[in-house]
Amino acid sequence: MSALNVDNTVDDPRQRSPLVLGHTDFASVTNEICAVNEAPKPPKLWYVTLVISACLASTLLVLVGYLVVTGVGVWGNNNPVMWGFPIVNFVFWVGIGHAGTLISAILFLFRQKWRTSINRFAEAMTIFAVICAGLFPGIHIGRVWLAYWLFPIPNQMEMWPQFRSPLLWDVFAVSTYFTVSLLFWYVGMIPDLATLRDRSNNRIKAIAYGFFSLGWRGSMRHWHRYERAYLLLAALATPLVLSVHSVVSFDFAVSQLPGWHTTIFPPYFVAGAIFSGFAMVLTLAIPARQIWGLKNFITMRHLENMNKVILLTGSMVGYAYGTEFFIAWYSGELYEKFAFINRAFGQYAWAYWIMVSCNVLSPQVFWFKRARTSIWLMFIVSIFVNIGMWFERFVIVVTSLAQDFLPSSWGYYEPTWVDTMTFVGSFGLFMTLFLLFIRFLPVLAIAEIKAVMPEADPHAHHEHDPDHDHEEGHA
Amino acid sequence: MKRIDLSRDTLTLGSFGGKVFVLSGVLGLAGLGVSFGLKSIAGNDAFMKSWLFAFLAVLAICLGALFFTILQHLVKAGWSVAVRRLSEGIAANLVWIWVLFIPIFVLMVSGNGGHLFPWAAPEAAHDHLLHEKSSYLNITFWWIRAVVFFAVWALLSRFYFGLSRRQDASGDYKATNTMQWFAPLAMILYALTQTFASYDWIMSLEPKWFSTMFGVYYFAVSVTGFFSAILLLIFFLQKSGRLQEAITREHYHDLGKLLFGFGVVFWAYIGYSQYMLIWYANIPIETSWFFPRQIGPWYWVSLILIFGHFVLPFLLLVSRWPKRFKGSIAIIAGWMIIIFCVDVYWLVIPVVPESALAGAETYDQLVEAVTPASLGWQLNAVDFLLPASMLSLLLSGTMFNLRRCSLVPTSDPRLEESLSFENF
Repeated sequence: MSALNVDNTVDDPRQRSPLVLGHTDFASVTNEICAVNEAPKPPKLWYVTLVISACLASTLLVLVGYLVVTGVGVWGNNNPVMWGFPIVNFVFWVGIGHAGTLISAILFLFRQKWRTSINRFAEAMTIFAVICAGLFPGIHIGRVWLAYWLFPIPNQMEMWPQFRSPLLWDVFAVSTYFTVSLLFWYVGMIPDLATLRDRSNNRIKAIAYGFFSLGWRGSMRHWHRYERAYLLLAALATPLVLSVHSVVSFDFAVSQLPGWHTTIFPPYFVAGAIFSGFAMVLTLAIPARQIWGLKNFITMRHLENMNKVILLTGSMVGYAYGTEFFIAWYSGELYEKFAFINRAFGQYAWAYWIMVSCNVLSPQVFWFKRARTSIWLMFIVSIFVNIGMWFERFVIVVTSLAQDFLPSSWGYYEPTWVDTMTFVGSFGLFMTLFLLFIRFLPVLAIAEIKAVMPEADPHAHHEHDPDHDHEEGHA
Repeated sequence: MKRIDLSRDTLTLGSFGGKVFVLSGVLGLAGLGVSFGLKSIAGNDAFMKSWLFAFLAVLAICLGALFFTILQHLVKAGWSVAVRRLSEGIAANLVWIWVLFIPIFVLMVSGNGGHLFPWAAPEAAHDHLLHEKSSYLNITFWWIRAVVFFAVWALLSRFYFGLSRRQDASGDYKATNTMQWFAPLAMILYALTQTFASYDWIMSLEPKWFSTMFGVYYFAVSVTGFFSAILLLIFFLQKSGRLQEAITREHYHDLGKLLFGFGVVFWAYIGYSQYMLIWYANIPIETSWFFPRQIGPWYWVSLILIFGHFVLPFLLLVSRWPKRFKGSIAIIAGWMIIIFCVDVYWLVIPVVPESALAGAETYDQLVEAVTPASLGWQLNAVDFLLPASMLSLLLSGTMFNLRRCSLVPTSDPRLEESLSFENF
C-alpha cells in the first residue's frame, strides 16, 4: 500500500507513517524533484529574492572593503567590549551551520528515515552558514592581509600562532568541519548529480553535471562503495558536530570572566547550535516547499518532527540557563552572582529578556500538536528562535565584557551602522548562495528518498500474504 | 527482512528467576552483613563513604535504565522493543532502592551527617561561604528533596513497567500511545531530579566546589553503567537458554554502539570539558576538587580512568565485529561495569585537604604536606564488598521484578520491527 494524500502526522504505533506522499513509483519522484532544476525559468519570487540578496551581499562586500581601508574603528567595538558584533555573528553563523551535519550524520546513524527529505538542503545551508561564519573572525583580526598568520605555516621568523589559544583551535575546528561537511554534502550528491546529467537537455549542463558526478553509473559496485563511504563519513562527521561548537564555547569558557567561565558551556553551546540550526532549516524549508511544490517530500510530519527537535533543544538550552543561574547562586561567589543578576536586570536586561522569551518561552507552544502542525505558527516561532539565538550570543559576549570585576573599567557597547549592515549583508551572502543552490543542484536527496518509500522494500507487496512468503522461502 | 518466530523461544524466567533471585539476594544481604561486621576495620566514616559510593553506583544503573526506557518512547523507537522489558525491569528497582539510602538518611537526620557532608556539620554555620549556601544546603531541605527524588523515580519506573506489562495481557496498542504521551514530561522530570540528586549527593561532598557540568557528568556515568549492565544481563539470560530468538546479534550491536557512543565517547567528552575548562582557568576554588584527584594514589586512579574508561574501550568498540559477537561484547561490558564503579569511586571518595591547602605557600609544599589519608584514600575490603553486594541485590531485585512477566513486550506493536531489523 502506498500513501497518496493521507495525514501522515497521525501516530499509530502499529505502522510507520509514510514519509513520501502522493507518489507510488520512483520515476514520478525523480521528475518532481528534478523539475526544480529543469524548469525553463524559476519562479518570479526567486528572481526578486535573488536580487535583494545579491544587493545585500554587495553591501557586505563594500563594507568589508571600507573596513579594510579604514580600520576596525568603524565598528562599535571598544574597551572593555573588544568582542562586539563580529564574534556574536561568528558564533551565530557557526551555530546555524550545525543542523546540516547533525541531520546528515547523527540522524543517519540513529536511522531516522525522515532525515532524507531535509538533509540535502540542510547540508547546503550548513556550508553557506560556515562560509558566513568564517568571514567574521577573518575581518576581525584588523590586518586582513595577515590572516594567513592564523595558520601554523613554517616561516623564517619562527613566528607561530599561540597554540594555547582557543581562537587558534577554532581555526582548526571550523576548517575541519567545513571540509568534512563539504565532502559529505558532495558525496551524498553524486548519484543525484548523475541523474541530472542523464536528464540534461543541453551540452553545458551535461558536461558540468557529468564532471561532478565522477562517472557514476549506478552499478551495484558503485552503490556498495558509496554506502560504505557514506557510513564512514557519517561516523567521522558525528564527533565534529559536537567538537566545533564545543571549541567555539572554549573561546569563552577557558577565560576567568564570570558568565563566560562555566563548565557546562560545551554541551550547552552544542544544544543551542542545533536549536538555531533547526530553526533556520524551518525558516528556509517552509517557503521552499511552498514555492517549488515539494510538499509531498517535506511533509507535515517532517515539519512536526523538526518542531519537536526545536522543543527538545530549546528545553536543553533552558536547562543550561537554569543551571548557570542556580550554580552562580550556589557558588556563593560575588562576581558569579553579579554576572547573572546583571544579565537579567542590568543595562542589557532588554537583550536578556528577548533571549529568554524567544528561546525558552516561544518554543513551548510546540507542546501542542495544533501548533506543531500550523505552518504560520511554526514559521513565526522559527524566526523568533533565530532572533533569540542571536541575542543569546550577544548577551554572552557583551554583558560579561561590559561589566566584569572593577566598576571603574565598565563600559557600554553600541554597534555602529557598519556593524549592523555587515551583519545584514551576511544574510545577503547566505541567501544568494542558497538561492543559487536551489536552482542548480538537486535540492532533495532523490536516491535516498526513494529508499524510504514502501516500494523500496522488496517484501512490501506481500506483507500480509503468508503463502507468498512461503513460496519465496523456496525460491 | 528476517522473520523470527518467538513461539519456539523461552520468554519467561520461570523457576530459574526464583533461584537467581534467592541466590543473589542472599549473597547480597550476606555481603552487606559482612560489610557491617568489617565496619570497625574500615572505620565509621570510611564505611559510610563506601556505602554512599556503592549506593550511587547501583542508583546510576537504575537511573540509566529509566532514561533508556523513557527515551525509547520519546523517539518512538522500534529496534529496541525486544530489549526494553529488561530495561524496564532494571529501572523498576527504583521502587525499593531508597531502602539502601536509609543508612545515609539516618546519619544525616541524627546530626552526624557532617562526617560525610561537611556542610551538615555544626561548624559549617561559622563558615561564611557555607552559611551563604545554607538555604539550599540544610538537612531539612536536603531530606525533603531526597524524598521527592525517590518518589518521582518510583512513580516513573512503576508507570512504564506497569503499563508495558499490562499491554502484554491486553494487547492494546493504545498503551504505546499513552506511554509516548507521557515521555516528554517524564524526561524533564528525570533530567531535573537526576541533576539535583547529583548535586546533593556527590557535588555537595565538597560543598565549596561547584561545576555546572556536574549533572551531565553523572548522566554520562549512569548511561555507562546501564548499557554495560543490560548487555551483561542479556548475555547471562541467553546463557541460561532464554531469549535465544528474541534478542539477536543486531541488538548486541546496537547496544554496543550506544555503549561506545555514550559510555565511552560522550563520557570522555564531558569529563574532558569539565576538567580542561577548570584546569585552564586555574581558579583555586574550582581546581581544589581536582587537586586530590591528581596527586598521591588518586593520580593512578585518574590515569586508570583515562585509559580504562576511554582509550582501551574506544579501541575495542570502534570496530564492528567486537560489538556483534556475544562473547566479546560481554567481556567488554564486564570491563566497563568495573571501570564504571571505579569512576563513581573516584567521584565520591577523594577529599580536598583543606588544612594543607590553607597552610602551603607553593605547590611543592602542598604536595609535601598531604598524606594519602588526608586525600581521603581509604581503600579497604568494604570498598569491594559493598558495591559487589549491592550489584548482587540489584540483580536479585531485577529477577524479582521480571518474575511473572514476559521478558519481551510481546504485544508491543513495534516488536516485529525490532525482531526483523538488520545492521548492514
